[in-house]
Amino acid sequence: VKQRVKLTTLTLVLGLAARVAGQTDERPRPLRAVGTVLVTNVVINQFDAWVLGQPWARTDVGSWSRNLRLGWEWDEDEFITNMFAHPFHGAAYFNAGRANGLSYWESAPLAFLGSWTWEYFGERFRPSLNDFFNTSFGGMAMGEMFHRVATTIRDSETGGFDRTAREITATLLDPIGGLNRLVRGEWRRRRPNPVEHDSSAYVFRFHAGSRFAGEAGALERTAASPTVLMDMTSGAPFDRPFETAYDFFSLRMQVSPSGGINMVHGLGRLYGRDLRRPGARTRHLFAVNQRYDYVNNAAYKFSAQGIETAIWSRWRLGSGAFSLRSGVAADVIVMGAIDAPSAGTATRPYDFGPGFGLMLDLGLTHRGVTYLSWYSRAEYLHSVSGASADHYVGFAGLELTVPVARRWGIGAYVSSYDRTSQYSDQPDERRVFPEFRLFVTWTSTYRPGAVLSR
Amino acid sequence: VKTLRAVWLGVALACAGRAVAAQNPHRNRFWLELGGGPGAIRIGCGGCPGVTTSSGSTGYFRLGGSLSEKVLLGVETFGFTDETFQFTDQDPAFVAENETLVAVVLWYPWRGGVFLKGGVGLAGGRFTVATDSGATAVAQGVGVGLTLGVGFDYPISRRLALTANAATFITGIGDLRIGPALVDDVIPELYQLSIGLALR
Repeated sequence: VKQRVKLTTLTLVLGLAARVAGQTDERPRPLRAVGTVLVTNVVINQFDAWVLGQPWARTDVGSWSRNLRLGWEWDEDEFITNMFAHPFHGAAYFNAGRANGLSYWESAPLAFLGSWTWEYFGERFRPSLNDFFNTSFGGMAMGEMFHRVATTIRDSETGGFDRTAREITATLLDPIGGLNRLVRGEWRRRRPNPVEHDSSAYVFRFHAGSRFAGEAGALERTAASPTVLMDMTSGAPFDRPFETAYDFFSLRMQVSPSGGINMVHGLGRLYGRDLRRPGARTRHLFAVNQRYDYVNNAAYKFSAQGIETAIWSRWRLGSGAFSLRSGVAADVIVMGAIDAPSAGTATRPYDFGPGFGLMLDLGLTHRGVTYLSWYSRAEYLHSVSGASADHYVGFAGLELTVPVARRWGIGAYVSSYDRTSQYSDQPDERRVFPEFRLFVTWTSTYRPGAVLSR
Repeated sequence: VKTLRAVWLGVALACAGRAVAAQNPHRNRFWLELGGGPGAIRIGCGGCPGVTTSSGSTGYFRLGGSLSEKVLLGVETFGFTDETFQFTDQDPAFVAENETLVAVVLWYPWRGGVFLKGGVGLAGGRFTVATDSGATAVAQGVGVGLTLGVGFDYPISRRLALTANAATFITGIGDLRIGPALVDDVIPELYQLSIGLALR
């Protein structure tokens, strides 16, 4: 009887949600967005409880009451769950707003609302503070990127198989947006595309090759693995003035057969301002960016979500076909995670904490495409959960791509990750992990302002 | 007669406030706000079977500028103090102090004075106890803080508004060494009800 009542309630909730979502117009619908967030939580919770049979999802008034009484704790989930899956989950909440006509900033509270309600009412576990941070801030970053890419994949001005294939592909990236459109009948309705639909704004560069990662500070003791890396940028910060959050964003993602997605670096511009006139030969831009970093490989783990302020510059060289670009940035890590031999607590082998850092990068570009780049980054992370420790990390890398045909190139990349951990009750510990990659590249297009590499 | 005067004064202030609010509902350009009120704290930690709760007093100061008609960006500092804090009934009285320094966004989703607040930044917690020898022992931690809240601006003149706030501050301040004991992964969560005065 209890199951039937639950099923009936869920059906009613879904029916009501479908009816509400079915109302079509272009105005922002914040209440519909809030409803979508809550329904998303109910559906995911019930899926976990009924279909996957997860005992932690069988919540009741008793678990809600306990969670409200005891409040937050730090959890001991795996690195990938906390630092990648939760931001992915948060993207669904955020995109409940974007799918209902809200802007980036207006959708941000929904990521927090969805995460908060899930933590208190969606699981029997006590609410987890690291999940709240990662789902909310990471959800904003991933959600906006997914929304913009999905909006570009969709094409409301076409029809037929192409239209359906585009809608399905976009829904894989932005399920909440896709389902909202499906319920509203927008998978078939022809209408002008929104301004975010701009395929000309994107540049892709794919790298395929072999990666050699040093295990304990020397390239002689390396483990080799095939790897595919994708760079994606959208927008041209030097060509168009700042208009809205994420009008420029970049994403670097690496996949290896042995480790799946083992690196994601995302950056989205939240605010920008020209420091010189747009037509000047040398340009300087001030930018405030949201960052999401995730590295999870066999050698080390590091992840951070934060905000950076940056000065981006571009110097035209010679006739102007070649440019030197640079970036200087200072960042604040709202929530980071790092592994180290003595880090972590109980079954969790890594620490959580806030931090800050500095970044510097230089690149040589030809007609907007980067062929030589160097970067250096230093970060400090203060552990607030795990070992009583302060972690200092340094990243540095040099990447060279040599063009061999119009879109094709070959390249090499060498980098190092240097971590020093200072514990309050143990000796300091330092490790250096070098990495080397050889690869073939394919770049999607040539145009000014294109591929940044970080 | 005094009561009647007070009522009339209240009505006049309310009418004036409504008139001002109709003209200029939100803050614009530079603004600052100062206030205080009662607060409560709930402290959890890694491996602790339960949580410790207590009440105290709070104060805050924030200032900033406007990004748009509906969105304000600023910096806020918040403090909580309880001079009779005890982790357990057997403990001596601690002075519990918690602070945050965060970047905040105030969002006025509607035309009225209701706003939502969100912010993130630094947090600190300090527990001071007098030892038997008369000296004081301090345990403190620094970490990350996040604040969420709701408030209401009630304009009382063209440049001033009374502001009511309800907010929570969720902070993670790491490990605390209190005497010989090490308390792991401390999370003080603070709640505040406050009245403030805003120069807008």
